[in-house]
Amino acid sequence: MSGPPPIEQSLVVFENVSRFYGEVLGVNRVTLSIPPGITSLVGPNGSGKTTLMNLMTGLVRPTRGSVRVLGVEPDDPEKLFRLLGYATQFDSFPKGLTGFQFVYSFLRLFGTSHAECEKQAWKAIERVNLVEAANRKVAGYSKGMRQRIKLAQSIAHDPRVLVLDEPLNGLDPLVRAETIALFRELAAEGRHVIVSSHILHEVDMISDQVILLSNGYVVAEGKISGVRSEISEHPMQVLIRCNKPGALAARVFEQDSVVEARVHADGGGLLVKTRDADRFYKLLNRIALDGIEIETVAPADDNVNSVYEYLIGGEESTR
Amino acid sequence: MMSMWWAQIRAVIRLEMKKTFFSRRGLWVYLLALAPVLLFGGHAIDMMRTRESRLEIARAHPVSKEALRSIKGQMTMDEVIAKLGEPSSRRSAGGRRRFRTWISYTDGENQYTYGFVNDELESVSIRDTGSLSDDKIVFATAFQFFFLRLAIFFGCVGIFMNLFRGEMIDKSLHFYLLAPVRREVLLIGKYLAGLIATVVIFTASTALQFWLLLLPYDSATVSQYMQNGGWQHVFAYLGVTALACAGYGSVFLAAGLFFRNPLIPAAAVLIWEGANLFLPATLKKISVIFYLQSLCPVVAPPDRDMNPLLALLISSAEPTTAGLAVLGLLTVTGVVLFFGATQARKLEINYGTD
Repeated sequence: MSGPPPIEQSLVVFENVSRFYGEVLGVNRVTLSIPPGITSLVGPNGSGKTTLMNLMTGLVRPTRGSVRVLGVEPDDPEKLFRLLGYATQFDSFPKGLTGFQFVYSFLRLFGTSHAECEKQAWKAIERVNLVEAANRKVAGYSKGMRQRIKLAQSIAHDPRVLVLDEPLNGLDPLVRAETIALFRELAAEGRHVIVSSHILHEVDMISDQVILLSNGYVVAEGKISGVRSEISEHPMQVLIRCNKPGALAARVFEQDSVVEARVHADGGGLLVKTRDADRFYKLLNRIALDGIEIETVAPADDNVNSVYEYLIGGEESTR
Repeated sequence: MMSMWWAQIRAVIRLEMKKTFFSRRGLWVYLLALAPVLLFGGHAIDMMRTRESRLEIARAHPVSKEALRSIKGQMTMDEVIAKLGEPSSRRSAGGRRRFRTWISYTDGENQYTYGFVNDELESVSIRDTGSLSDDKIVFATAFQFFFLRLAIFFGCVGIFMNLFRGEMIDKSLHFYLLAPVRREVLLIGKYLAGLIATVVIFTASTALQFWLLLLPYDSATVSQYMQNGGWQHVFAYLGVTALACAGYGSVFLAAGLFFRNPLIPAAAVLIWEGANLFLPATLKKISVIFYLQSLCPVVAPPDRDMNPLLALLISSAEPTTAGLAVLGLLTVTGVVLFFGATQARKLEINYGTD
């Protein structure tokens, strides 16, 4: 019997996956291939982020379609959970365990020896900076500590795929920064780090690619800039800092793809909306040669926040 | 692979043990196990106190057994008192026409009560302090009709039903489902953890009950009984207790996987097991209680006050041999666990709707 094609063994693949909870739609006709790196699932409540994660981990099964994680079906927990770690959004733990026992007991379920489990558990707890609280009962942990111990549990067995449901919720700014650094570190090691989040500016900061979800459908996926450029009904916004914004405005209107140019309130810049970013950047190069001093050029809406706003609209306000 | 599964089963058992033995939710299981212990404890204390008090009375009012047995009908109360001496107690009741008096004596073992109507002896009642053979039947009845059918039954409801369903309610079952453990292995681990807990709790209760049953008897009576089948009885009762935990445990573990509300399957199984007496012989065999009763060393007699019509409805399936009963019970357990494992494989975590 032949296994999955080699390329599939490095991807998380959804093929035409639908999941219904009775009459209620979880996700519908999802087809995705998630490569290594940090991938963020973004969408309002009920958009299907957790369902997608639960489908990946076999906690729920697709009504239609199939899911494969690095070539492994989620129905095979013995193989899957050696490759994958999942920090769920469920904030409940087996009763009476300390943070260390929580991670250690989980590792014992892998059939590993006591000494090895102890070593791995401490290593994971160290990585999430929770050593001091490790011998306290999880029941007494703060929200942020519970998030970190769940993260420790999910990384303790050194998985190639990490699935993290709202992992930054409840973390204070310092720990949040440390956690994001940890995600980057893990992604740099060639792992899949699949994160769901509501906090768009953080998604923007950490993601190599995003999957935007709305009402159970994937509305966009890929690198944020790529997704943005495909939204043709919303012209790209480019902010230019220069010494002569008025003159620049007059020049940019030579191009018909430019639909709007607005001088910045401080008189030191111009916000341009264009339907063809590539042609606009070429024009800017020519203008720069004609004596207008251009300090900076930066896309103004090439971020998750704008993409989210354009595609999903006001369903959920961004935070 | 087997060694891996075994290591995983042990890991599950370790995690479950603490929860199973010390959960607040399971407190009433201990009460159920304790109830018959209290019953037999009370019986033992009562018996010992009665015996002690009779010995004291016999010392104060010594009277021989022969003298007590020589009392014949139509003797007057004065004649009886003249022969036996002053009674240890005396009671009277009635009016002018029919005046009743009872006087009691004891030889230290039995209590003799003579009843007089208008001063003429009418009745003699001899009450012993209880015999081991009677107590064995009391034990068998309490064991079969209370301990097996109610205490162990509901104890298993409390422990096994919670192994999966309780964790779904607590929203903590995903802890196991995110580990590289086959669902069947998880089910076996949880089942064994529940089995260890129930077997420890209920066999300890059985052993204590048996010890309390024998406590009031002198060492000669006890050692004679133990050497003549007593030990077999002890082991048989302990074995039946363990098998009851295994059988009912499997049923309620599976029920916890199939049903959201534990009361529905518990009530259904209780009715099925309770109706076992009235089922046709073939259907009797699809139950746990049938095999357990076949293994009980002392047959509990049917209730003497049972309505004859009801008695007619009782179908008698020949009890099976011990070997077949154990095999039958283990087969029922295995089949139920198989269906439980099939359901566990399909299990999804969707706490919102659970």
